[in-house]
Amino acid sequence: MILVLVGVSLIVFAIMMLIPEGQRVAIYVTGEKIRNEQIDSLIVKYGLRDPAPVQYFRWIKNIFKGDFGHSITASAPVIEGFKMYFPVTLELVLYSTPLIILVGIWLGTIGAVHKDKPIDHFTRIFAIVGYSLPTFWLGLMLMMFFYGLLGIFPPGTISIVGKDILYNPEYHQYTRILTIDAILNGNWRMFWDAIYHLTLPTINLVLLSSALIMRLMRSSMIDALGQDYIRTAMAKGADKKTIYNTHARRNALIPVITISGLMFAGLMGGMVITETIFARKGIGLWMARAATQLDVAAIMFNVLFLGVVFVVINLIVDLIYAWVDPRIRLT
Amino acid sequence: MEKLVEAEELRTNFYTFEGVVKALNGVSLVVNNGETYGLVGESGCGKSVSVRSMMRIVQAPGKIEEGKVVLFFNEKDRNKGIDILKRSEAYMQSIRGNDISMIFQEAGTALNPVLSIGFQVGESFLLHRRGEMIKLAVKTLDKKIDENSNSLFRMWRKFHKRLLQNETDDLERYKTEIVKIDSDLYRTEGKTDSKSLEKHKRLLVNRERLNKQGLKVRLQLKTPIIRRYVRRINAAVREKVIELLTDLGVPNPGNIVDRYPHELSGGMQQRIVISIALACNPTLLIADEPTSNLDVTIQAQILDLIRQLKKTQISSVLFITHDLGVVAEICDRVTVMYAGDTCETASVKDLFKEPMHPYTKGLLKSVPKGEIGEKLQTIPGTVPNLITPPSGCRFHPRCPDVMEICKSQKPEMLMMKDGHSVACHLYRKK
Ligand SMILES: Nc1ncnc2c1ncn2[C@@H]1O[C@H](COP(=O)(O)OP(=O)(O)O)[C@@H](O)[C@H]1O
Ligand code: SF4
Ligand SMILES: [Mg+2]
Repeated sequence: MILVLVGVSLIVFAIMMLIPEGQRVAIYVTGEKIRNEQIDSLIVKYGLRDPAPVQYFRWIKNIFKGDFGHSITASAPVIEGFKMYFPVTLELVLYSTPLIILVGIWLGTIGAVHKDKPIDHFTRIFAIVGYSLPTFWLGLMLMMFFYGLLGIFPPGTISIVGKDILYNPEYHQYTRILTIDAILNGNWRMFWDAIYHLTLPTINLVLLSSALIMRLMRSSMIDALGQDYIRTAMAKGADKKTIYNTHARRNALIPVITISGLMFAGLMGGMVITETIFARKGIGLWMARAATQLDVAAIMFNVLFLGVVFVVINLIVDLIYAWVDPRIRLT
Repeated sequence: MEKLVEAEELRTNFYTFEGVVKALNGVSLVVNNGETYGLVGESGCGKSVSVRSMMRIVQAPGKIEEGKVVLFFNEKDRNKGIDILKRSEAYMQSIRGNDISMIFQEAGTALNPVLSIGFQVGESFLLHRRGEMIKLAVKTLDKKIDENSNSLFRMWRKFHKRLLQNETDDLERYKTEIVKIDSDLYRTEGKTDSKSLEKHKRLLVNRERLNKQGLKVRLQLKTPIIRRYVRRINAAVREKVIELLTDLGVPNPGNIVDRYPHELSGGMQQRIVISIALACNPTLLIADEPTSNLDVTIQAQILDLIRQLKKTQISSVLFITHDLGVVAEICDRVTVMYAGDTCETASVKDLFKEPMHPYTKGLLKSVPKGEIGEKLQTIPGTVPNLITPPSGCRFHPRCPDVMEICKSQKPEMLMMKDGHSVACHLYRKK
């Protein structure tokens, strides 16, 4: 675990070293705008011409101090930018991930149980559509249809009225996650406003990402239903429901769990596009902007951040995996 | 001898991508009350598919096309029997594991890798003996209520007793309803006038739809916190499982119940599979090559166990094997199968003494007799592909006595003498 994190940091650092010194300065300077004539002195000041290992340790030291440099696109120190953008992304993840998993597993099970029946074909079409449509296209279509044509589900994170509430001194922003704050403040108007804006991006992500889980769940459920232990359960006199829910599903979930860790990578990619299209000011949008405006500090920070998230997610997946499959339980 | 189960002209196909595998080509066999009946044949000849068809547990892409499986279990249907292929799935579920059980060739894959041994064995009790288990749970609960304890605990326990009582009542309701439907089914069975047929069909549907659990019970089983009373039933089941495993000679059963299949040895896994099958004292035990994948010593132990159980618990055993030695050792009567056909049925003594079917003869010649330097004969040719099986007698391409008629006509089962029948054109009356 620690080793993986060190590896991640090394890779990120290696990428960083490829950036010209003049731009790399941004990673070390926090809290001020850099003027052109300062650059040379700053390069010397922060030792950007020192040997790589020295620079690496200096960089790590900065990280532990929470010092990630200055982001042009956020017009603030990177860490402040993160505090602003991250809750928006987290909120979307919070709503879409459970839905992706539930919808995927549910549809996959239905498909497997009714194999080759109409409902199975229907779910398969759903999967193929979800799997092959480009994220941006589906996003644009959803937006065009619902917002453009019907005038509902606008882009953005919140309405103008919502913004007023947000900056009202009475209203406390505990977590900066809109819906949770709304509940904590007991402000239902705000809650529905946030949900209203969340609907389309969530649908977009769920449609695209659950397709993979669904396909996998379907095939692994079909596989499980053909196993010998299912025959044992049948010979015992177990009914269909018990066989599906107790005997087959748990086994079928094992490969799905492995994949859902990987699916997260796809979700991140989808996030950049989804947030850009629906104008949600989250990490994805920030990264997209940072990339086009060469906001080196923000890019490096986010790469590092995603690396860490990945490692953590995989750890969680491993834990769930061990919980479901007794064969790999540690003794 | 009384018949116990009779399979008539079973035909089962597998609809695979390569084509239709005609796995059973009219298999007929009769298991009598109280006997150990053997089913032998090379692997791939359809032994497993036969017994799975008899229990209606052929998995996709298999389908039982035609035939009958008649049970003569209850006094009521001694003369007529019940054709279980015509019965509802719900009826089958009440029979499987309760009246007929099965043990499998590969114990390792027959057990569910993600469920504990205790759960897998206990499930048999929960499926067929829930009423008894609840009674046991109530008994322990009563003892606890009598202990003087804190009144809050008392209330909680009384409440649980109430919930258990609900389940008992519900089981009672289910039982009376099902008995009523079954007797109606029995009355309309076999009648051909359109009104009875209509009613029969409706009854089958009703039986299928009949809820095993009423609304109240389902609610109390699903509601969090309230459903905690189920733990008391599970504790009772656990006791029963440990008792059963002890009876079957499983060492240290208290520990084994919490284990998972991969933690046990092959012989122990097979004992677990046997205990699942025996939990509800079945009338017929079907053993599908239960010893084929085990070491010789373990094999002997398992055979001993089955023989022992035959004496004490189960009335009849249908034993599948490809090993004629095992047949000689434990069976009373035996049927030889070849490529989805039944070739010959006889008592073990007759079969070894005077085999009639050319395939049986070949099979017996290929068994070592234990002489040193002895040369074994094999049957020339290979087992046929069942997607395009040979016409007529399926054995004709390999038969030393093949005649013209064998290529076009399937031989019928001929009764040669008492209890010895053979399906071969050689024995046709001229
Ligand atoms: N799931 C299946 N799909 C296709 N064919 C099958 C399947 N199960 C069994 N068969 C076919 O049925 C025939 C009999 O198989 P089986 O009853 O398992 O033989 P055995 O006598 O060794 O138990 C075999 O030839 C096999 O090809
Ligand atoms: S019917 Fe003909 S081919 Fe078949 S076993 Fe008898 S003699 Fe041989
Ligand atoms: Mg077999």
